[in-house]
Amino acid sequence: MSVCVLSRALSALSLSLRTASAQIASVSGVPAGLSRGFMTSVCVCQNRSLWKQREKYSVRPIGMKKTGGRDYTGRIVTNGIGGGHKQRYRMIDFQRLRYEPGRENQPIVEKVLEVRYDPCRSADIALVAGGSRKRWIIATESMEAGDLIRTSSAIGRMAVLAREGDSHPLGALPVGTLVNNLELYPGKGAQYIRAAGTCGVLLRKVNGTAIVQLPSKHQIQVLEQCVVTVGRVSNVDHSKRIIGKAGRNRWLGIRPSSGRWQRKGGWAGRKIRPLPPMKSFISPPAASART
Amino acid sequence: MFGKMFNATLERIRTSAFKITQNCKSADCHSVLYMIPHGRRCLSTSSCLYGKVLPRKKPRVVHEIAGLEPITYADRMHFVPGLAKPRFPPWVRGWKDPSHYQSPKLEDMPLHKDKPCYIFNQRTNVLEGVRQALWLSKSVLIKGLPAQILTLAEDPVNQIENQDERVQNAIKNSRLWDTTEHRPPRERFCPSLLHRLLHLCGDLQVTRPELAKRILAEKYSLAASWRRGENMFQVRGQNGLLLNSMTPVPVLAGEEQIQSTADQALETFYPIEPTIDLQCTNVYQEKNDTGFREGYPYPHAHTLFLMEMGNTPKLFPEQLRAKMVMFAFGNALARAQGLYGKEPRVLEKPFVVQSVATNGRLFQFVVFQLNTTDLQSDSGVKNLVWVDEDQPLYEFAKVRPYIKKKVVKVPAGLAGYQPNTFKKFLALYLHGAS
Repeated sequence: MSVCVLSRALSALSLSLRTASAQIASVSGVPAGLSRGFMTSVCVCQNRSLWKQREKYSVRPIGMKKTGGRDYTGRIVTNGIGGGHKQRYRMIDFQRLRYEPGRENQPIVEKVLEVRYDPCRSADIALVAGGSRKRWIIATESMEAGDLIRTSSAIGRMAVLAREGDSHPLGALPVGTLVNNLELYPGKGAQYIRAAGTCGVLLRKVNGTAIVQLPSKHQIQVLEQCVVTVGRVSNVDHSKRIIGKAGRNRWLGIRPSSGRWQRKGGWAGRKIRPLPPMKSFISPPAASART
Repeated sequence: MFGKMFNATLERIRTSAFKITQNCKSADCHSVLYMIPHGRRCLSTSSCLYGKVLPRKKPRVVHEIAGLEPITYADRMHFVPGLAKPRFPPWVRGWKDPSHYQSPKLEDMPLHKDKPCYIFNQRTNVLEGVRQALWLSKSVLIKGLPAQILTLAEDPVNQIENQDERVQNAIKNSRLWDTTEHRPPRERFCPSLLHRLLHLCGDLQVTRPELAKRILAEKYSLAASWRRGENMFQVRGQNGLLLNSMTPVPVLAGEEQIQSTADQALETFYPIEPTIDLQCTNVYQEKNDTGFREGYPYPHAHTLFLMEMGNTPKLFPEQLRAKMVMFAFGNALARAQGLYGKEPRVLEKPFVVQSVATNGRLFQFVVFQLNTTDLQSDSGVKNLVWVDEDQPLYEFAKVRPYIKKKVVKVPAGLAGYQPNTFKKFLALYLHGAS
């Protein structure tokens, strides 16, 4: 018992040391975090972002914390965000070519179990099961429960007859296919063309690389081993929806913009200008290769 | 704790700055977001840097160089600028405190094995339902209850006196009259209905003394393990009420029916593996335990009663039937392996375990006959499962009538009572005691 009394006294002592240092820092007019020479460490782990720190993949929806456009200091960083219906986040697997541990190099065939609405994005999501795992993926246009979808990484000399919903590397698809969920680097996971109703077009294939036109008409060049899904993303009529009332925008978590009328400057209005040059995402050759 | 101090300091800066901006209303002050407490602007830095809270810089990365020992200020017992921060070994309590136990990593646990085991526990919700349970237990499905039980159900000798009236009273008691609130929740009326029906069935003990040689057991933990293909499977957990009896349940299928199952193929569901949704673990113990000790006076499992109350987790009827099949199989397998040992063999005297599941209105009946413990291969003699699905005991039991547009669609009280369901329930109860 005396041991815990002593330890409590010692901890109180160390507390008072830290309070003293903070008070000294504030009196001298310097914010406490910038003062050197004291063992200051603000708690980095914040409860506000713990819900997104989960490493293990799970199919069950996860409760989200809304930020309201505020960052860790509490200030509004992005205007127009706040409120809205509560949403639960479903972890989507954007890397289609992900093998199950223990079944590498076997062809991936999966069955679509259900296609449902996702509150976190405009596209619909599909629950697919293959082997002994289930995962969520972005659904394509005519995906229905009971379909079988294939994912492969093989690039043959002949182009594959692309079926909608299947996933192949760009080098294996015929030129002119509509694609979505495009990876920039092989194995990184899809980052482009994920919104509802969008699709990119495979324009041409040039020795080891492929050139894809994005929905914004920009063209990018990526390695041909990057895996894409064939077809258009689901929920094609998303762009035709009418919000109808201010309340529906508030349900979506969009706060009103400041009603102040301002004369718009040169940044507003339609611009007609040539396309920017094609962006290339091929890593430069290694330093040893350069002579 | 120190975070609170930092925030309090920031608050003090912010509040004092707010007072200063209120005094000077010039246009210059509007562009500066906040000022330091002594009221002067710092003109050595640009205002866009000065007013904003900059994003946190990542802490300096300290690289470990092998072979070089960093000189730390550990000996001096206080911070010294220029010396490295000491890294102390993790503190060990030195004595075993039961309220502060840190479990070892999975790889260091004593029961860790290289080969994973797939466990079906009481919370498992299998994707493919009965087809998956049939594959896992190497069984063949027959729809409908076996003929012997159906004859028992139709026989008027096996009825309780005023059977229909007493069953309807039991339903009304548990669904309508059990609570002072508006209506009882499912967690209350489902077990209450099941216990009342079992109590009614016990009424026939007067004419059949063998019915007295049975006992109901609750909260027993089952463990059964077997190999199937290259994988190991186990059934574990507390599942429901088990009716144990002193005499085994008589065998239902004849020898020729058992041998004919050897020709039927097991159904697979490509691309889904039969191990989906099962708990996969590397730390397990290959246990075969019926849940009861040696010398228990009621060694034979007769019927397993499962209740589906919509919590942890909510099971659809297909998944509920799969759970019934797996636990009936587990009970039979545990007893077979207890009697005959662990080597796989075809049993001369098959084991029969019955199962009844209900959600308060719908009843599912399953009879499982274990013919073989040779479950490694997909060929050979298979086990038999009779399944009777979705038998409603009644259609509606409403406290208040369901009225739509001033027309009574469903009246209050019990509606749509089906007597056949209770006859099958009673037949399953009486099976084995003639």
